[in-house]
Amino acid sequence: MARDSTSLSRRDVMKTAGAAGVAGIVGLAGCTQGGGGGGGGNGDGEYPSLGNYPIEGDKAMFGFNVPQSGPYSSEGEDELRAYELAVKHLNNGGGWVDDFSDLSGDGVLDYEIDYVKGDTATDADTARESASRMIERDGVVMFSGGSSSATAIAQQGLAQEKNVLFMACLTHSNDTTGKDCVRYSFREMFNAYMTGQALAPVVTTEYGDDLSFYQLYADYSWGQTQQASMKQFFEEAGWSEIDSVATPLGESDYSSYLSEAQSSGADALFLNHYGLDGGNSLKQAVEAGIDQEMEIVMPLYNRPMAQAAGGAIEGIYGTIAWDSQIDNAPSKKFTEVFGEEYNGRVPSGPAQLAYAQTLQYAAAVERAGTFYPPEVIRQLEDYSYSNIGMGEETMRKCDHQAQRDIPVVKGLPGSEQGDGQFFEIVEITPQSEVGYDCGSGPAAECELGEYGDE
Amino acid sequence: MSLAADLLRVFLNGLQTGAIYILVAIGLSIILGTLRFVNFAHGALYLIGAYAGLLITLEVNLSNGLLREWGFETIGLGWGFLPALIIVPLFVFVIGLAMERFVARPFYDRPDTDQILVTFGLAIIAQELFRVLFGGQSINFARPGWASGPVSLPIIGNFPKWRLYVIIITGILVAIVWLLVEYTDFGLIVRAGTRDPEMVELLGIKLTRPYIVMFGIGAALAGVAGVVGAPLENVNPNIGTGVLVPAFLVVVIGGVGSIRGAVVGGVLLGMVFSVLVGAPLPSIDILGTQITWSAWAQVGIYALAAVVLLVRPEGLFGEEVTG
Repeated sequence: MARDSTSLSRRDVMKTAGAAGVAGIVGLAGCTQGGGGGGGGNGDGEYPSLGNYPIEGDKAMFGFNVPQSGPYSSEGEDELRAYELAVKHLNNGGGWVDDFSDLSGDGVLDYEIDYVKGDTATDADTARESASRMIERDGVVMFSGGSSSATAIAQQGLAQEKNVLFMACLTHSNDTTGKDCVRYSFREMFNAYMTGQALAPVVTTEYGDDLSFYQLYADYSWGQTQQASMKQFFEEAGWSEIDSVATPLGESDYSSYLSEAQSSGADALFLNHYGLDGGNSLKQAVEAGIDQEMEIVMPLYNRPMAQAAGGAIEGIYGTIAWDSQIDNAPSKKFTEVFGEEYNGRVPSGPAQLAYAQTLQYAAAVERAGTFYPPEVIRQLEDYSYSNIGMGEETMRKCDHQAQRDIPVVKGLPGSEQGDGQFFEIVEITPQSEVGYDCGSGPAAECELGEYGDE
Repeated sequence: MSLAADLLRVFLNGLQTGAIYILVAIGLSIILGTLRFVNFAHGALYLIGAYAGLLITLEVNLSNGLLREWGFETIGLGWGFLPALIIVPLFVFVIGLAMERFVARPFYDRPDTDQILVTFGLAIIAQELFRVLFGGQSINFARPGWASGPVSLPIIGNFPKWRLYVIIITGILVAIVWLLVEYTDFGLIVRAGTRDPEMVELLGIKLTRPYIVMFGIGAALAGVAGVVGAPLENVNPNIGTGVLVPAFLVVVIGGVGSIRGAVVGGVLLGMVFSVLVGAPLPSIDILGTQITWSAWAQVGIYALAAVVLLVRPEGLFGEEVTG
């Protein structure tokens, strides 16, 4: 439905005019004439066509491409809840939208936001196909998703090719903003390298600084960089790796792998598995009594997988994207609005990422005063913010990796779990102690590619 | 840790990995052997067994799916594991009877490809039906309290208790089926029917009834496998397909129609997997790439099947098909 002039508040007019200058006014003029199609009516007239810009019709379409099946489907399910909530807030106000100075709660740049959902099935090819459909058929101006770095990397490659922005959600591989980085993708989530930096000091202080360790890792992009980063930072801290063994993604029976780890004589076992795989491998490790013989470390946790592993997570260290216990205003607000929407459900880290990334994009569009992708990208690059519950952050221009704090947590015993609480936050490692320069670490391998308007 | 402990551990792991495949493969193998029916929906029976077992054993919270939308946020009886172990096989036995009567029988005289198509379609329908009803999410099938945690075994140390139970339950069920087929009149008729159905019918014995019962028994075993195997992992709509391929490999290795073959095939398959993953084999370098054996465990299983097919096309305990 086309918006008429009466739906525009004075605040909208001032904001758009302020953000986009003359172009904004011209756009609004178009809108008051009852326009809405073909790039008119949103202050976008002056840019050439690129990707799915200009938007046709009066709705801006987002695409949410998450695993609704496969080993990471629990994460995908919670992401989807958050995406739907973000769209609701963008259109009607509420949640963080009320606190983001760039957002109005009346759509984005006078466009109502609509969305399509896709299922990646936790598989890179499926994810790419599904994203491709969203771009070609549904005309999305932005798509988001993840859970499995392999799917995120496949999708962001497509984003660069098609000049449509991808707001990476749950992807933790170093390669996402390292060797596979692209200009058309931004990552709020930290990576395996930073997990290593945050985890090694805490774990070595707890268990000693001369232990031997054994690693199992999921055999794809994420697991491989995860294994390499753990090796690097724990060996720098004085530990020594005895062996590391790859396991297939989606494996359900880890018993043979685990018993080899058990007989390796190592002091500690790193389970670089995620989602259902992580839940399974940890549960089976505890089932086999490995926790009585070795220290288990689960470098990357989240709530759905902790739930799947149940009491098995007791005392086991790891990092998480975000947790509802983090004590600041945006975190509390998100937990509150998510709970209100979903029968008191406590949001998980992946949900917070999904919600934040959607709003970050919308805010950047408002700042740019246009959906024209190169301008939106420039608004996101080197943007500093502190409104998503993880303290002061910067979305770095050189590799599109958010520079942020990292929560290190320890699993709670089964008896203390409940109400969505599964972890005790041990430390929130400040961003000054993690991260790397643009010329080192994974960033050294990153070449972002073109904006599309060169 | 000593070599003996390593070997024992690899052996036990091989046995437990193979156990579930044996349970699924026996049904597959006898149905294929006696009825000459290729049942690609056999994995769906495992799936049904797993969900049925879950629902009898526990009370499950549903987080998505149609059932939840209809207002069933929690579902399941919470009766515990032992009732499931008795009720599920009976339930899946009945499903097996229905399947024989309404799906298999009309296709007995049709080509293998038709049988594969119809049963594969059925398997996909079952899988998607579960996805629609329960959602695509994995549900945690907790082990029964008396069988959870590790047990300390001599020499090898800690071993997951439930996996020992899996081996024991499989052993008992295999023994029952074997006795049934080898030492009862029913078994005699079925075996005779496998050899020469025409002659058996000429002797005045109607084969329809023993066949349908055999189909039911095969189905029930797949159902039990679901109940026993699901607590090892989590339950989701894809687990049926996950178990079908290894089960077919077991039939290929062991030979069609042979219970002994299914057992030996299952154990061999489990052993190959467990040796490649868990035995202290040195890793090797091929053209600068480090080869880790664990990553080749899946390949190893197929290699084993290929070798058996080359040396004995009818499988280790299969009989050469003539005529």
